Amino acid sequence: MTQKIVKAIGWVTILLATFFCIAQTTVSAQAKTYQIGTDVTYPPFEFANKQNKYVGIDIDIMNAIAKEEGFKVNIKPVGFNAAVQSVQSGQLDGVIAGMTITPDRKAKFDFGTPYFRTGVVMAVGKNSNIKGFNQLRGKRVALKTGTAAADYANSIKKKYGFKTVTFDDSNNMYEDVTTGNSVACFEDKPVMQYGIKQGLKLKIVTAPANTGWYGFAVKKGQNKELREKFNTGLKKIQTNGTYDKIVGKYLGTKTNPKVKGKTFTIGTDVTFPPFEFANKHNKYVGIDMDLIRAIANEQGFKVKIKPVGFNAAVQSLESGQIDGVISGMSITNARKAQFDFSKPYFTSGVVMAISKNSKITKLSQLKGKRVAIKTGTSAADYANSIKKKYGFHTVTFDDSNNMYQDVTTGNSVACFEDHPVMKYAIKQGTKLKIVTKPAESAPYGFAVKKGHNQALLAAFNTGLADLKASGTYDNIKATYLGTDDKGSVNKTAANDSGDRSFIGLIKQNQGALLSGLKETMWLTIVSIFFATVFGIIVGLLGVVPSKFGNGVSSVLIYIFRGMPLLVLALFIYTGIPSLTGQKIPAFIAGVVTLTFNEGAYIAAFVKGGINAVDPGQMEAARSLGLPFGKSMRRVILPQGIRIMVPSFINQFIITLKDTSILSIIGLMELTQTGKIIIARNLEGFKVWTIVAIMYLVIITLLTWLSNWVQRRIKV
Amino acid sequence: MSEKLRVTNLVKTFGTNNVLKGINLTVNENEVVVIIGPSGSGKSTLLRALNRLEEPTSGSIVIDNVDIASKEIDIDTVRENIGMVFQHFNLFNNLSVGENIMLAPVELKKESKDQAAQQAKQLLKTVGLEEKFNATVQSLSGGQQQRVAIARALAMDPDIMLFDEPTSALDPEMVGDVLAVMKDLARKGMTMVVVTHEMGFAKEVADRVVFVDDGQILEQGTPDQMFEHPKNERLQDFLNKILNV
Repeated sequence: MTQKIVKAIGWVTILLATFFCIAQTTVSAQAKTYQIGTDVTYPPFEFANKQNKYVGIDIDIMNAIAKEEGFKVNIKPVGFNAAVQSVQSGQLDGVIAGMTITPDRKAKFDFGTPYFRTGVVMAVGKNSNIKGFNQLRGKRVALKTGTAAADYANSIKKKYGFKTVTFDDSNNMYEDVTTGNSVACFEDKPVMQYGIKQGLKLKIVTAPANTGWYGFAVKKGQNKELREKFNTGLKKIQTNGTYDKIVGKYLGTKTNPKVKGKTFTIGTDVTFPPFEFANKHNKYVGIDMDLIRAIANEQGFKVKIKPVGFNAAVQSLESGQIDGVISGMSITNARKAQFDFSKPYFTSGVVMAISKNSKITKLSQLKGKRVAIKTGTSAADYANSIKKKYGFHTVTFDDSNNMYQDVTTGNSVACFEDHPVMKYAIKQGTKLKIVTKPAESAPYGFAVKKGHNQALLAAFNTGLADLKASGTYDNIKATYLGTDDKGSVNKTAANDSGDRSFIGLIKQNQGALLSGLKETMWLTIVSIFFATVFGIIVGLLGVVPSKFGNGVSSVLIYIFRGMPLLVLALFIYTGIPSLTGQKIPAFIAGVVTLTFNEGAYIAAFVKGGINAVDPGQMEAARSLGLPFGKSMRRVILPQGIRIMVPSFINQFIITLKDTSILSIIGLMELTQTGKIIIARNLEGFKVWTIVAIMYLVIITLLTWLSNWVQRRIKV
Repeated sequence: MSEKLRVTNLVKTFGTNNVLKGINLTVNENEVVVIIGPSGSGKSTLLRALNRLEEPTSGSIVIDNVDIASKEIDIDTVRENIGMVFQHFNLFNNLSVGENIMLAPVELKKESKDQAAQQAKQLLKTVGLEEKFNATVQSLSGGQQQRVAIARALAMDPDIMLFDEPTSALDPEMVGDVLAVMKDLARKGMTMVVVTHEMGFAKEVADRVVFVDDGQILEQGTPDQMFEHPKNERLQDFLNKILNV
């Protein structure tokens, strides 16, 4: 009969496995070789290296795209003018040569998506105190003839009252600044960055002016296919980090050898758009996510993102389960006692939002009313700091959606939230409106445990500085918040406004939901296996003729059955590592939690089942000379198991449902997946309905199975 | 007649309750001893102590010159040689009739299944249930179950058989079949200790009758001595009650 159960469990496993089978097919593009022209020498965009091989940002980008899109390129360093002319004459297919997109050139060429932003910057000696143009009055500034930088300097010369001196080549110009003859020089930003990376004792002090974009060009009306391949390829390498790696290689500071090649686990919130949220493909994106990935790329380390929720992330950091937290975390004095923070990477502001038809416009109208806040946010700190003055009450939520919901339903009259977050939520369809101007709040920082992971912190700071210098930082911000000069891209954050019907939501989130279901099933199966082993051992310990064994069994059952699953999960995941200094992966912590908790229940009914077998059976077996163990195995257990089977199946169903509690430690099971999808699209009712139905379907299948098994084993 | 079993000063207490108050009893080889006495007198406890289903509190139980009350003894090996039959049969509900009989020989004597099955069929024949080899326990009547239980106990080829009120749970018309099997066993020379209320059986089969009351042996002797000329007042009283219903 035991074999029948095993067989039955085997069938369910097979049944479920078929659910998850999704076939994938890939079609490889046909390889074609394109002739691409470039400049002879324009570091860091194209130049021959020591081995006389052409390298540089342009070359590497072109090669990476070709690889990504499955075509071949033949790079011809014929010089800028020759390259441009050859494309026009049809000799070459395209040109990539630090070519700025201008209206004039657009008339003759079709440009791909802009791939690099450039602009004129001012650089000064490493120890100089000069920070802006207005400190230049009466001073001497070095320029290089015939450059865009020189044109720009001449255009502002009068306004800021400085003198210029002109050189024929860059090196002499730099020298004039390092020796102190001139106080500053003007240069194209990437060229300047590259020079500094190569060892120039200068530093960049201004934001890029007269900015423009480099583009890849083909002859107007020709080679449309190549241009499209370039665009899709560029998007791919920008998403997968190759782009940043290339730019970082030429313009970034040297990678920190202490972090190079290492993998760091970074905790973050589940739901804090636009800083962190899962996109349609269930990949974590947002300002924080893109930033930490870009920094990791640039500094040569790897990150493993753990979206466990803000509070869990902070606790995990304290207990050493994770290495760092980037989660829209405000730098406050209280937190500084526990954590070391990076340089601030984002300054936000707190706003008050109210329901769309509410008449409240001022803080003073909140007197005696209820206001919703989210735990641990700077917005909550701000609300609490003005609570007394304006006489309102607060109610605290664990995630943003519940907080918004509380305001839209009218339970609370208003909520406080960081400005970009609120703006994003409203854009996504939350029925709230912002009524106050952003109030000052503490800036966001990346945190590590105090005194730990200092190399990671240093790498973050250098990386952040590099990304700010290269413009990647601005690009990331623009992607989610929108800016003036690349208006088209901020659509990417808002393009999730597709079909919001049940079927639409299921279609969009099919992959995520199935992988959540898979995780839930895995957790359930692995946990019930270990819980059964644990439960049977503890249960048997409760019936052996040993007072000590009986005692141990009773105590284990008492402890693990008496503790709430949530507390047990948090204790194992964040408590144990604090004690031992040993990290526990969330999945293992989850399995251990369920093993103990469900195992205790199993032990209780194993004990009960065995005790329910007539004691005369044991006496008869022992009277024949069968030892205790053999009597148990051959006579008592087979009868006890028959009594236990309904409880076992019931426990299996309970375990399946209990896995949802493990979302607290960030396991991406079905419930957590639901939370994340809602964090993105704010369709709480519909998504929870879908999730609930998925649980019900699985549980219905299990119930059928249990009835079938029970019928089969009834003799 | 050589001595098979000797109980000396056997005491059994449950908490503060003295159930056996110093029992001394000898059983010889091939002897059939029937223990009688009122309910709660301790006769079942005495019987169950003989294979240590009840742990004696003090005293010794010597079987074939070995004190089996000693903690050092491997009681499982001892039990292989002592068959026991229970009031409520206690057949293994998860096994068929044949399997019930085969279990111990296969597990303990490492007999092959075929060998054990052969033996089981033979034993079923002697208790008159040859055709029930594949039957489930639940399909048998009480009398049939008890006869299977006797066959199961005999399968280990014991040299002592203990019977704990083997007919008390049976319908009257079943009692005869079971007693017949027991008589047959006695005739074949099995050493038997039987707790029973079947006075007819005691008169006919017992070599010696032992009267237990209040945890003590008050009188023992041949059936004739015990039933026809009881000396002890309480035995007289007891016999009066059960023989003159």
